[in-house]
Amino acid sequence: MPGPLTGIKIVDLCHAVVGPWGTMLLGSLGAEVIKVESPGGGDLIHGMPPKQRGLGVVYTHSNPNKRGIILDLKKEEGREVCYKLVEDADMLVENMRPGVADRLGLSYEKASEINPRITYISAPAWGSTGPMAPMGGVDVSVQAFSGWTSLSGEDGGRPEIFRFGAQLDISTSSYIVAGALQALLIRNRTGKGMRLDVTMLGSSMNVQLSRMAEFFATGRSPSPLGSATVTTAPHQAFLCQDKKWLAVGVVNDSQWRGLCQALGLSDMTEDPRFATNPRRVENRRELVPILERVFLTKPSTWWSIRLAKERVPQGPFLDFEGLRHHAQALENDHIVEMDIPHQGNMLFGGLPWRFERTPARLTSGPYPGQHTQEVVEEANARQATRGPAPRGQAS
Amino acid sequence: MIGALEGNTVVDITQGLCGPYASLLLAEAGAEVIKVEPLGGDYAREFGPPFVGGASATFQALNRNKRCIALDIQNPRGAETLRRLVERSNVFLEDLGPGVAEGLGLGYAGMERSNPGLVYASITAFGDKGPFRDLPGSELVVQAMSEFWGSLGAIDEQPERLGADVANMNTAVFAFNSVLAAVYHRELTAQGQRVSVSMYGTLMHMRGILWSARHDPDDWSGQHQEGALQPRDHGYQASDLSVYFSLRRGDEEAYVRFLTDLGMTEVLGDPRFDNGGRDAVGRGRYASELKPVWEEAFKNRSAAEVVDLVKRYDGDAVELNDYQGLMAHPQVEALGIVREPANANGLRSLEPSWKISGLDPVQATPPPRLGEHTSEILTEVNHSEQEIQQLRDTGVVL
Repeated sequence: MPGPLTGIKIVDLCHAVVGPWGTMLLGSLGAEVIKVESPGGGDLIHGMPPKQRGLGVVYTHSNPNKRGIILDLKKEEGREVCYKLVEDADMLVENMRPGVADRLGLSYEKASEINPRITYISAPAWGSTGPMAPMGGVDVSVQAFSGWTSLSGEDGGRPEIFRFGAQLDISTSSYIVAGALQALLIRNRTGKGMRLDVTMLGSSMNVQLSRMAEFFATGRSPSPLGSATVTTAPHQAFLCQDKKWLAVGVVNDSQWRGLCQALGLSDMTEDPRFATNPRRVENRRELVPILERVFLTKPSTWWSIRLAKERVPQGPFLDFEGLRHHAQALENDHIVEMDIPHQGNMLFGGLPWRFERTPARLTSGPYPGQHTQEVVEEANARQATRGPAPRGQAS
Repeated sequence: MIGALEGNTVVDITQGLCGPYASLLLAEAGAEVIKVEPLGGDYAREFGPPFVGGASATFQALNRNKRCIALDIQNPRGAETLRRLVERSNVFLEDLGPGVAEGLGLGYAGMERSNPGLVYASITAFGDKGPFRDLPGSELVVQAMSEFWGSLGAIDEQPERLGADVANMNTAVFAFNSVLAAVYHRELTAQGQRVSVSMYGTLMHMRGILWSARHDPDDWSGQHQEGALQPRDHGYQASDLSVYFSLRRGDEEAYVRFLTDLGMTEVLGDPRFDNGGRDAVGRGRYASELKPVWEEAFKNRSAAEVVDLVKRYDGDAVELNDYQGLMAHPQVEALGIVREPANANGLRSLEPSWKISGLDPVQATPPPRLGEHTSEILTEVNHSEQEIQQLRDTGVVL
């Protein structure tokens, strides 16, 4: 069944995670994506551990829904093939450092001269101007710079780096998708392609908007609070009798009443110190010890049952073994097993959306350069049918 | 040039962080957003402190560029009014929980009959199936169940959450993307559809690399497999702030000069520092054990000095900023991403993360007061003054 973007063609000149994840998502909507890699190593994450059958899994997870080719863009022949792809494409995506694509003869001006309907998407880490523009950026350095690390850590403790270096990458990818889809909608009206810029820094700031609001209001930077939440309370982990932590999130007054009921503290709903969320936030240092004492008296399973009955958000701190077989993840395809012909079965995070008329897809990506021959032949065949492109006369 | 969703009307009945951020993004793309709040208001109006001018800072950040009607949709008359609103709209955004909208007569099947082009977007905590289907979720709960704690804190201690609202905010962007794709499909086919996202699905998707990494790897080492066992990472402490840096681009000669400047020449010859230092910093295999050696060299230098020094030798380095440090940095100004307040009492905010050439920016309007636009919105969907008064008198609208 076709997806919403069936018929849309994307030339993907990206490496690492940010760009590739974005085109993988666009591919899930039906777009036809061609991943272009350079010879002699290609995408730098081939070799990044962990690997499965010798190929890095970060590469594999970032590139489903694509065909893969190897082209030497530093050589005339490679560039010519790329121009043919650009001629036929709706989008070009690159995440090289500012200026590199221009030096390879693949600037926005060049691409739009070849194909005025193309949308040219750049995703540099820090921006195309400014003192940090020439600098490389990876998820961790964007975490550090964008204030993200200052929000996490022990209660009142030092800022902490999130030890998984793709979270902000993928947030950026998602904003790239947002920009790309808007570009397609705009082109429906104007018939013209456009330039789209999405930076990792800007994306990281936007995904923190709900927290940056606190700074905009007070001029003070929020501090880490352990498992707790600055603007809602009680919204944190509680240790139970069985030494397990239970995540509990009360974000409104009806959940507060439910929590008091579940814990056998119904008198507390009358306590003015805790009557509203702002009061609970202000008095959290008095509130939390009362709750902690109660949670310690019964195992987490009991509290989970009680809280679920009272419709209070709660859940366990699952580890990999716990979540990989969890019915919640499996029944919703939040985690899926896919056969990768060159690597064997592998687990993937499921797609983040469901379309009831135009189902999204997740299909195995290429091994590096798997489709070079067929893609080049298709491009040549297209040109043979159409004759030389206008760009041939111009250049 | 006008925005992608210009001419589209969105009816948004969501509350909290996720749905309202999704509809803010829809407004940024040019849609007209009608925010439908219960008579007691979106519960995020109570998020905080901080409050500014009596209004939650969090709420204000997520709800500009919307008009607001306060409407009791649990009341059958209110549900009927909502149906009339949605009939004339292009997008409906709801987060009532699986099956709840149907129970109120607001399900997709009924809405589609009167408005076949409607894009009906549902946001849930846990998805449409499974044992948690009907349970409420929260930012921490969803983070806990997708193992976010395994990348923070220390094992055997109280788990930590990621301070950013990653489940809510990223789910909102995925919801926005789903709506954009469905609108694109509708423009080509005139056919609407229901799309759905969940907070749990979002985080499980975003952690996907970790599931791949642990399924059948050739080896077992590094952060993707051992993250939960690794110590807290605070970057490299300099005399004031911490820094994070990498040396991957430096050549050998520059590397030696770098070490000389830092007074670290004694490490030359230690194989862990070989290879231009690539294994000795950042995500390198010896990075954790060598951190004290670097910190000893940084202890009399400010973070800014360390950053300059690394850059001079062609490495990449940044300070671990808080928001004050970030906002004061010239790169943020160069990016032009901070949006000045819409009015004298307003707060700063952010420009969207995409920059589309030739696109006119959407002018910001302040977040609405509860029920601020009730009358004008009802009038637009052909309610007479008398009808509106009756709805007010019977406590259906505010």
